[in-house]
Amino acid sequence: MTKLFTTTALVAAMALPAHAAQPAEGEKLAEDQSLSFWILDAIKSADPQLTSSRTDSDMIRQLFEGLMNEDETGAMIPGVAESHEVSEDGLTYTFHLRDAKWSNGDPVTAGDFVYAWQRAVNPETASEYAWFMELMNIVNATEIVKGEKAPEELGVKAVDDRTLEVTLTKPTPYFLKTLSHSTTFPTPQKVIEEHGDSWTQAGKMVGNGAYVLKSHDLGVEAVLVKNDEYWDAENTIIDEVKFVTVNDQNIGLTRTLAGEIDWMNQLPAGQFPRLKEEHGDAVVAPPWACSYAYIFNLSDKGPEALKDLRVRQALSYAIDRDIIVDKILQGGQEPAYFWTHWAIEGFESPEIEMAGWTQQERLEKAKALLAEAGYGPDNPLQLTIQYNTSEDHKKLAIAVQQFWKAIGVNVTLNNYEWKVHIDRLNNQDFEVARYAWCGDYNEATTFLDYFRTEGYNQGKWSNAEFDKLLADSATSENPAELYKQAEQILIGDMALAPVYHYSQPQYIEPSLRGAPLENVMMSWYAKDMYRVAE
Amino acid sequence: MFAYIMRRLAVAVPTLLLLIVISFVLMHLAPGGPFSQERELPARVLANLNAKYGLDEPLWRQIVNYVYSIVIHFDFGPSFVYPDRTVNELLADGFPVTLTYGSLAFLAAVLVGVGLGVVAAIRHNSWLDYLAVGISIGAQVLPNFVMAPILVLFFTLTWRILPGGGWSFSDPSFWIMPVIALATSYMASIARITRSSMLEVLGSNHIRTARAKGMPEHRVILRHALKPAMLPVISYLGPVFVSMITGSVVIDIYFSTGGIGKAFVESALNRDYAVMMGVTILIGALTILFNLVVDILYAWIDPKIRY
Repeated sequence: MTKLFTTTALVAAMALPAHAAQPAEGEKLAEDQSLSFWILDAIKSADPQLTSSRTDSDMIRQLFEGLMNEDETGAMIPGVAESHEVSEDGLTYTFHLRDAKWSNGDPVTAGDFVYAWQRAVNPETASEYAWFMELMNIVNATEIVKGEKAPEELGVKAVDDRTLEVTLTKPTPYFLKTLSHSTTFPTPQKVIEEHGDSWTQAGKMVGNGAYVLKSHDLGVEAVLVKNDEYWDAENTIIDEVKFVTVNDQNIGLTRTLAGEIDWMNQLPAGQFPRLKEEHGDAVVAPPWACSYAYIFNLSDKGPEALKDLRVRQALSYAIDRDIIVDKILQGGQEPAYFWTHWAIEGFESPEIEMAGWTQQERLEKAKALLAEAGYGPDNPLQLTIQYNTSEDHKKLAIAVQQFWKAIGVNVTLNNYEWKVHIDRLNNQDFEVARYAWCGDYNEATTFLDYFRTEGYNQGKWSNAEFDKLLADSATSENPAELYKQAEQILIGDMALAPVYHYSQPQYIEPSLRGAPLENVMMSWYAKDMYRVAE
Repeated sequence: MFAYIMRRLAVAVPTLLLLIVISFVLMHLAPGGPFSQERELPARVLANLNAKYGLDEPLWRQIVNYVYSIVIHFDFGPSFVYPDRTVNELLADGFPVTLTYGSLAFLAAVLVGVGLGVVAAIRHNSWLDYLAVGISIGAQVLPNFVMAPILVLFFTLTWRILPGGGWSFSDPSFWIMPVIALATSYMASIARITRSSMLEVLGSNHIRTARAKGMPEHRVILRHALKPAMLPVISYLGPVFVSMITGSVVIDIYFSTGGIGKAFVESALNRDYAVMMGVTILIGALTILFNLVVDILYAWIDPKIRY
């Protein structure tokens, strides 16, 4: 049995393009090619157009395949689309689809993509990710979501069964990078119409990914097995993927160490150093495209004090990011002095003045700035920090409370459960709030867009120059330069106090190979992985 | 008796309706909604979602529609957070799990608890009594969130004989730890109540009479003491049974059982209105039902009680 696998693997390595599992020469494959992956929350939806969760996407990525995939470094590689062309003006993309099949044997056609994309924007679907099609700048997406135009008018059409044409409202440099997102995955019209909302249940679901759903016990585990109809099935080595729900990180870790889970991609905070020491290379912490910050409420409902740049600067300077990263989180995170995650593709870290200072210098400057702004021992600044219930957020908030106390700012901590926290954020009912953002695609605008005047921007910071830089970046030859300038404006005006850039401390069972550790988006494909014999 | 039961069941209907209205209103008063998230949804997308789930209607109409579809179709609606599933499906998946480990835990708690309590009372102030009291105090201070990790430490990490979590109806090895963890502290309470109630009964006149007329001690205990001594235990067991079979959030989270104990708490945090209502109604109906069962048992045990 093992021998057979070895031969197959060898053939695979010789014959295949960059995607698919590629054991190195001399690696012997294990007999057991199953993978069990820890997830914190139960799968909410396995419907590519309905889901809004990252966890769900990890499973959907195995069950469906979009036009493009990501390789282990995060680069875009062909998925269902074998090749594509872009028109001169950057507005029309033509995709040539490969000969792929659904798990029921039907061919995957351009029409399946048209159906899925129209479904995503159709108000009747009420997709929480309908905005993603707007973000892709597809013609008429916004109008359809609003209900002003029919879904059929979306700028996507099937020229023939194997040719898909997409038209955009404006050149969109990151367009191709959105194509590995689950919202853009094709879905089988016939099956959805036959079963309605329950079409994603095991036994009914039909997909075009490398795996099919065998069983799904909600909140316990979902089991996926290899899809023999998948176009690259002969090079897929992992034959079973399990998503095991454990609603608590520490319990998840226990079960991982007990051998029940192979891959846990979010170790509890503070555990990394100990685990690293005990388990060596099985424990790693690659960068992950999320940033953590405290945002200031600059709207009319926010406190007067925060409208003073000197106050915002003082608050940001006073945060000792090294203590947060090295003493509290201890999991390979990086101190943040700007917003966009440093490892995002094509992004060059800007020069930020405060990054070069020692903490002592920052503290002195912070005190001076506060005094200048009229705050001191006789007139201390009072602020509240709002965060959502979580041990880690609490630890950080307490630390920041202490840092700010050192410059004479009295902080009250307000802890709310998640839904209340975001409700207050969205209504500008806060002073300083904990915030984090994870990139939707591997490009700086996914972070910077947040602070556009029209962006989500719950602190209501607004800067015309910043908006213009972002607008210009879409057609620029050198967007990296513009992103750098935008970051400098953002930090120059201290729209936020960046705290740290995420990493993803994780445990990977030593025999498991091919985890995409260099992909900051952390998108993984079980079909690209394999297990070696011990 | 039959008329009494009918009367109680008739009262249950307005009780449940009141429960629905109050829960519904409270739920909608809580800030945030099922679709509020970190990146605020564009107003038009939110409007589409609200329209899809009928959340754009006035509250009173939502309640009427909700009750109507339950009464007419026994349909508890779609889950807002798990769009692939209906509340009926979620309950049908989750309730059998909690029912299984809950009733097993109940059985274990009652058998061991009553046993310990009776032994302690009969051998009052002997080493057996101290041992039983010791065990029950020990168990009392081990709530399920302490028991669970201790069990996992030994059975899963050290001895590797039981799975650390998950659920299967065909494999009882998944049930053992949830049952023990859930039963322990209830068992302790039952033992304490049984012991003190038994002690009281053993000192009463009819027991003295029974002993005086030379009745064998085992008959005195089983026939004349145990039955009346069970009255306070039973009134404790009614609500306990309901809370055990509807699961425990700690057990569900710790052992990833997929039961409805966790679904209840989670749906409240997620503002998954439909799931929360479904579980509330289930727990409400079971509570009403088992309170009635307790009252019937009372009448059966105590001849002084007549309805």
